Amino acid sequence: MNSDRFDLGGGEPIITLRDVAKSYWREALEIPVLQGIDLEIPAGAYVALMGPSGSGKTTLLNLIAGIDRPTGGSLEVCGHELNGLDDDQLASWRNLHVGFIFQNYNLVPVLNAFENVELPLLLTGAGRGERRDRVEQALALVNLTDRMRNYPRQLSGGQEQRVAVARAIVTDPDLLVADEPTGALDAKNAEEVLALMERLNAELGKTIVMVTHDPKAAHHARHQIHLEKGVLDRTVEVNR
Amino acid sequence: MILGALLALPFLAYLGWLVWALVAYPIPLGYNLRSLWQRKLSSLSTAAAIALVVGIFVVVLSLAQGLSVAFVSSGRQDQALVLRPNARFELNSTVERDRMRILKVHPLLKRDSGGESMASAECVVVKLFPQWDGTDTSVTVRGLEPMGRTLRPQVQLVQGRWFRPGLSEVVVPRKMQRRFQGMELGRVLRMAGREWEIVGTFEGGGSSFESEVWSDVEDVMQAFRRDVYSVMLARLETPGRVEGFSQAIQADKRLQLEVVREADYFKELTKAGDPIKILGNLITLILTGAAIFAAMNTMYAAVAGRTKEIGTLRALGFRQREILASFQWEGIFLCLTGGLLGSGLALFANGIQTGTTSFDTFSDVSFAFTITPGLMAQGVAFSLIMGLLGGFLPAWRASRIPLTEAMKGG
Amino acid sequence: MRWLALIWKSLMRSKRRTLLIVGSLVLSVFTVAVLQSLLTTLDTITNNPNSGSRIVVRHKAGLTQVLPRSYEAYLRQQPEVETVCAVQWFGGYYQDPRDFFANFASDETTLFQMFREEFGYNQLSEAQIKEFLRDGTGCIVGDSLAKKHGWKVGDTIPLTGTIFPINPRLTIRLIFKSPKLSDENGLHFHYKLLEEGFPAMKGRCGSFWVRVRRIEDIPRLVERVDRHFANSAYETLSETENAFNLSFVKMLGNIGAIIQGITLAVVVAILIVTGNTMATAIRERTTEIAVFRAMGFSSARVLVLLLVEGALLVGTGALLGVLLAHGAAGGVRASVGAVMPFFADFAILPPTVAQCMGGALAVGLLATFMPAYAATRKPITEGLKAVG
Repeated sequence: MNSDRFDLGGGEPIITLRDVAKSYWREALEIPVLQGIDLEIPAGAYVALMGPSGSGKTTLLNLIAGIDRPTGGSLEVCGHELNGLDDDQLASWRNLHVGFIFQNYNLVPVLNAFENVELPLLLTGAGRGERRDRVEQALALVNLTDRMRNYPRQLSGGQEQRVAVARAIVTDPDLLVADEPTGALDAKNAEEVLALMERLNAELGKTIVMVTHDPKAAHHARHQIHLEKGVLDRTVEVNR
Repeated sequence: MILGALLALPFLAYLGWLVWALVAYPIPLGYNLRSLWQRKLSSLSTAAAIALVVGIFVVVLSLAQGLSVAFVSSGRQDQALVLRPNARFELNSTVERDRMRILKVHPLLKRDSGGESMASAECVVVKLFPQWDGTDTSVTVRGLEPMGRTLRPQVQLVQGRWFRPGLSEVVVPRKMQRRFQGMELGRVLRMAGREWEIVGTFEGGGSSFESEVWSDVEDVMQAFRRDVYSVMLARLETPGRVEGFSQAIQADKRLQLEVVREADYFKELTKAGDPIKILGNLITLILTGAAIFAAMNTMYAAVAGRTKEIGTLRALGFRQREILASFQWEGIFLCLTGGLLGSGLALFANGIQTGTTSFDTFSDVSFAFTITPGLMAQGVAFSLIMGLLGGFLPAWRASRIPLTEAMKGG
Repeated sequence: MRWLALIWKSLMRSKRRTLLIVGSLVLSVFTVAVLQSLLTTLDTITNNPNSGSRIVVRHKAGLTQVLPRSYEAYLRQQPEVETVCAVQWFGGYYQDPRDFFANFASDETTLFQMFREEFGYNQLSEAQIKEFLRDGTGCIVGDSLAKKHGWKVGDTIPLTGTIFPINPRLTIRLIFKSPKLSDENGLHFHYKLLEEGFPAMKGRCGSFWVRVRRIEDIPRLVERVDRHFANSAYETLSETENAFNLSFVKMLGNIGAIIQGITLAVVVAILIVTGNTMATAIRERTTEIAVFRAMGFSSARVLVLLLVEGALLVGTGALLGVLLAHGAAGGVRASVGAVMPFFADFAILPPTVAQCMGGALAVGLLATFMPAYAATRKPITEGLKAVG
C-alpha cells in the first residue's frame, strides 16, 4: 500500500478538479457537501470513490459526470471546462464522453436489450446499419449476444447490469461513471460485472470512476479515493 | 321496464352489499379517503371530468323536462279541443261560425254556476316578433272568450288587467318579456295593421301558454281578416265524458269536426322535443362511457401505486372482500365528489330562458332550464353508477393482490 | 428503432391505461364530431350556393299568411327577374301523420326553371316532364323520398292535408335526383289542384320564389319589392333563400349555443383527463427521464419526445373518434334526418375532421406540456434519486 496523497501518478489527466465545492440549500441554510476538492485523475485510471454515507462521494461522481454543477471551483473533464458549457452543450458532451452505470441498472422496461443499448446512439446521428453493428459489438463484449431480443424483465439482475454496461460503452466514451454498480447484485453476479469493468479498463483503456461502499468492489479498482465529510481524506493504490 | 329492472337488480344487490359491508366489516374507509386526498391532483382532476359530464347530464335532463313541462302542464284530462278533421294542430284548424254556435250549446258540455256552458271559441294565428338578439321568431297569438281563461286556471294575471273586447288590447306572458323586444306593460304592439296596447302580463305555471300573446277572439279575427274560428276548447263533467262527446260530434253530419282530449293534444306536441331528448340522452350515454374509462384509469393507478400497502393490509388480517368493498367505496367517493360538483355546476344554467320552434305549429315554445333538486339528485345518483362501474374492476384487482406483495422491496 | 418507435413503446408501457384513455378520448371526440357536424350541416343549408340567385317573397306577418297572386305580375315586370314561381307549403302527410316530409303546391309552369339545379334538370327525361305538365293530378318527387316509400313513376299516392282540408290523390310522373340529399325529400304538385280543391286559396299563395339574373341585383330588388307593397293590405317580406332557410334553422332555437356549451365542457374534460394521465405517466418515469438526460438527451429533446407522446395518444383517440363518427353518420341521417329534414345531408365534413383533430392535438399538447416541462426542469441528480 502506498499513501501518496491525491497523486494517482500516471500520464495526462483526463479529470482535473480545482478547489471544487458543492453545497445544498435547505431553506435558508447552506449545507456544504464538498469543500476544496483538488484532484487529478489520469486517463486510463480506475478509481473507486469510497467513504461513509453522506461523505459526498455520489455528489463528487455527479459533478465529474456533468449531471450536477459545482457551487465553487472548476472541473475539466475529457478536455472540456464544464463550467463553460450550458445545459444543452453539457448534454451533448455527456453523450460523447461519458457512459453511465447505475445501481438499479435503469434499463427502459419497454425496450429490449438491443434497443436499450441503441438508445444513446440515437443522438449520434449514426445510420441504422452502423448503429446495429455497434450495438452488436457492445453486446458481444458483455457476452449477451444471445439475449439481444430479451426485455429487461426476462433477464437476471446480472444480465441487466451487463446490458447497462453495454449501453454505457456503446458510444465509445472515454469515461465510465458507476454508482454502486454491484449494490443490487448477489456476490457471483457482482464479481462478473466487476470483472467486466476491469476488462474495459485494461483492454479498452476506459477511465472508470466508481462509487462504492463495498471494499470487495473497491478492491477491483486500481486506486481508492476516500472522502470524509466532504473533503478528500486519502488515496490508496490497490495492489492486485 | 321489466328488462331495466332485471338489469338494475344485480346493481342494487351489489350496492346493498356495499352498504352492509360498510357497517358489518371493519373497512379501512378512513385510509381510503385519506388516500384520495393524498393523490389530490389526480383525484380532483378525475372528479372534475366527471363533474363536467354530470353537469351536461343534468342540463340535458332539464332541457328535456322543460320542454315536456311546457306541454304537459298545458292540457287537462276533462277538457276537449274541437278541430277540423286531419288538422292535427290548432293553427291548421278552422271551425265556421254556424258550427261554433251549435257546438257551444252542446248538451254534453259542463256548465258553470251561472248555467253558462264552459266553452271558449278561439282563433289562433302566428305573428313574427323581434327578439332581443335581433332576430324575428313566430309567436302564437290566441284570441279567446272570457270563458277561455276560466278553462285555463294555471294562467294567472301578475300585472295590470285582462284585455277588454273591442279595444285591441293584449296581455303577454312575463316569460316572453325577457326574450322579446317591446313587450313591457303599456307598450304598443303592431299586428295586422293595428296597434294593440299591452294591458297586462301573466304567468302560466310553465305551460305552453307562456309562449302566447292573448287577446279577445273577435278582435283577433277582425284584425287578421278571419271569418272562421280555429278551435273550441270545452270542459266536460268528468274525464270519462270526453269519449262520449267525441262520438256525439263525430256522429253529427252537420259538423264534420274532430274531438281531441286536451291532454292528448299536448302530449302529441311534446313529441316535438323528442329529437332533442334522444340526442341529449345519446350524448350523455356516450360521455358517461368516457367518464367511466377515466375513473377506471385513475382507480387502477391508485391501486397499482399501493400494491405494497394492500399487501400489508392483507397481512394485517383484512379479507379480500373487505379490500374489495373499501376500494369500491374509494371509487364511489371519487365519482360522488364529481357528481356533487357537477350538479352544482349545472345550477349555473338554472333559469336561463330559451325557446324552440315547434315544427308542427311553426311557432315559438319558450321554456327555462329549471335545475330542480330532483334533477340534481339524479345527477348525483348517476355519478354513483359511474363509481360502481368505474371502480369495480380496479377494486377487484386490489382484492386479488397477494399477501406476499407486502414483503417485496421497492 | 427510431424516435417514433421509441415513443410508441413508451405509450404501450401501460397498455390498460393507454386503452382506457384512448377509449375515453374516442367517445368524447365522437360526441364532439357529431355535434359539430350537426352545426355545420345547418350552416350548409343557409349557405347553399345554388340558391344564391333566388329570393323568397312572403307575407310580412308570418309564414301562415298568404299573398295575392296578382303580386306575381309585378314581380315579373322587374328587369332583374328571370322567373317567378308560386310555391305553397301544403303540409300534407302520406299514411303516417308523424312521417314528415316537405310537400308543396307549386306553379308547374315555372317550377323546373326555378329549381333546375335541385332537380338536376339536364338529366330529366323530356317525356316525363311533359307527362307531369299534362296531368293535373301529377306530381314530382325526390329520389330519396321515393326510395323511402318504395314509390315508382306511375304510382298513385294519397296525401292527407293538415293545413288545407283536402286530400289529393297524386300520380307520380317524375322522380328527380339532386346533388344534395336534403333536396330529394320534397314533393311538388300542380298549384291548380290546391286552388280547385280549396277555393279560399284561389288567387292566393304563401310565397313567391323569384330567380334573378344577377346576384348583385338582389339587394336593390328586395328593397324595391318590399317598399312597393309596404302600405298595402298584404305587406311583403323579401329575403334571399339562404336567409329564408336561416329563419327555419333559427326555429331550433339556441341549439347552437347548447352544442357549443357541451363541446366546451367536453374539451375541458379531455384536457383534464389527458393532463392527469400524462402527469401520471411522466411521474412514473421520473428516474427514466433522468437516465435519458444523463445519457445526453437534452431537456428540449426529452420535452419534444413527451409532447409527441401526448399528441400521439390524443391523436389516436381523436382519429378513431372521428372515424367512428364518420361510420355513424349514416345512422344520424336515417334517424335524425327522418324527423328533421335539415339533417338528411348530415356528414362529417373535412373541416369538422380538421377541427376535431386539430383541437384534440392542441389539447393533448397543452395537457402534456405542464407535467413534461416540469419533468425536464428537474435536476438530473434528483430524478436519479427518485427510485420508484
